[in-house]
Amino acid sequence: MRRILILAVLSSLYSYAGNMDGYMQKLYNAAKSSDSNFKGFSAKRGEKIFFSKHMGKRGKIISCASCHTDNIKNMGENIFTGKKIKPLSPKANAKRLTNVKNVKKWLRRNFKDVYKREGTPLEKGDVLTFIANQ
Amino acid sequence: MKKVWIFSTILSITLLQAAQVSPKKLYISECGSCHMAYQPQFLPKRSWLKMMNTLEDHFKTDASLDKDDKKIITSYLVKNSGDSKRVYKEFRKFNSYISKNSTPLRISETYYFKKEHRKIPKRFIYQKEVKSLSNCNACHTKAEKGIYSERTLFIPNYGRWDD
Repeated sequence: MRRILILAVLSSLYSYAGNMDGYMQKLYNAAKSSDSNFKGFSAKRGEKIFFSKHMGKRGKIISCASCHTDNIKNMGENIFTGKKIKPLSPKANAKRLTNVKNVKKWLRRNFKDVYKREGTPLEKGDVLTFIANQ
Repeated sequence: MKKVWIFSTILSITLLQAAQVSPKKLYISECGSCHMAYQPQFLPKRSWLKMMNTLEDHFKTDASLDKDDKKIITSYLVKNSGDSKRVYKEFRKFNSYISKNSTPLRISETYYFKKEHRKIPKRFIYQKEVKSLSNCNACHTKAEKGIYSERTLFIPNYGRWDD
């Protein structure tokens, strides 16, 4: 009885915190449905997305690395406000890529800041794979 | 068995609600991840409403929020805004200078703010430790607690400021 109860509470807490594997699977399915040749996400393509420079929303040429730096195990800094940003790499910051809600929020915001548009499921999956492998 | 499931579901929902963060904490974690979470007392209700409705273009940055978080934060800001009942002393004075016909979005462009900072040399403001006037806690060492008195002031590469 008690075990069932604990299990139920834990499982609901787990789904509340957001399931990252589930999110990656969703991105995978979306990428697959728009391109039947899609074979899986690539850290290499993600790296390119991360480092390529664009005229950002603020009218300045930036890339993701402008704030997150070239080594995502290091602290970053918001180049506009000066606020420090904790390392993006899960290897340096265990909290990264654990909360789907946060991941979605920052992907949405930061793609718009750098690329002036939302990322596609393929791009999001690639860049998350790059981050996870760094 | 069925009863156990119903009971455990109710219990877990209650636990989740209890675990939810307070509106103030949510505001600080969401808005404070890019800049200091300025005290809501600095601006009137109408400013916060406009701010929260234009987050997709927040000073030329995308600061959009998820629907529920936006609702909770907006209500927190409005409840504690400069023209709410909870405002005292310095904040009251600060707000008395904001014209009823204006809807400022930048605290640093309000009259009282400018008046208080007019004597600060530009080299102290634009140095890399401070960056801009939006960075309250670069000099106001207790800004995050809402304390802006002169004795808490410390300007990087200069020191205490005596008016």
